[in-house]
Amino acid sequence: MQWWGWVIVALVVVVAVAAALVAVQAKRRRGGVIVGGPGPADAAGPTDTSGGLP
Amino acid sequence: MRTSEIASLPVVTLAGDDVAQVKDVVFSADGGAVAGFTLAGRGLLSGPLKQGLSWSNVVGLGPDAVMIADDGALEPVDTVVAAAASSSAGAGSGGNVLGDRVLTDTGSDLGKVSDVVIEYDNADGGPCDVVGYEIEASDALKASSSKGNKHTRLLLPLPDTLAVSSEHVMVPSSAEGFVSDDLAGFGAAVQAFRTQLRGGS
Repeated sequence: MQWWGWVIVALVVVVAVAAALVAVQAKRRRGGVIVGGPGPADAAGPTDTSGGLP
Repeated sequence: MRTSEIASLPVVTLAGDDVAQVKDVVFSADGGAVAGFTLAGRGLLSGPLKQGLSWSNVVGLGPDAVMIADDGALEPVDTVVAAAASSSAGAGSGGNVLGDRVLTDTGSDLGKVSDVVIEYDNADGGPCDVVGYEIEASDALKASSSKGNKHTRLLLPLPDTLAVSSEHVMVPSSAEGFVSDDLAGFGAAVQAFRTQLRGGS
């Protein structure tokens, strides 16, 4: 391979690594809406809608 | 205000120092209110911080910044998340609500959460109330709602208290009748929905 072929390969690798780093960093900084804990309705279980039937 | 509008807002002290930016909005599932924020650094290469911000330490929340008194208002992020979970059992905490399925208490799937709508009045300095979800409407909701035929994203009002797990969020089936496609008129829909719930209990 010619010397400039290695230069192109090196540039492609550098660009790929940079793109991967940017993607990882964007994922680390991406926000969301997180829940501190379940509410009492979760702990209480399903609502009884049977009307007292067995 | 949607929580997506808060993400990435700078956290600024009253002295004018830009100390962090908002990463996640943390809300307590049992109270239906915002409990605080997790934070990320301001630099392009900086990641999540080990410090968070409790809602009680927020001086003001606006469209362009979250204001705090000074950087002493920041506390360990574990403390912020644990405080939000302190009044409940703790299982399922830390889950991201975005993408969760919305189920009614009668077992109908209304869609998937795409954003959370909050309400806060800077004048009274009270809690930051979680008043609704923006959802990607399910086919069933689109079929039953006249608004759903045109809009796939609808606003769903929430009661004063919520039930949220790491996979599903639960709403009363009567909420289906108060869906809105307009954020400007959503406050009235929330009030009407909550009034109906209180009247029915």
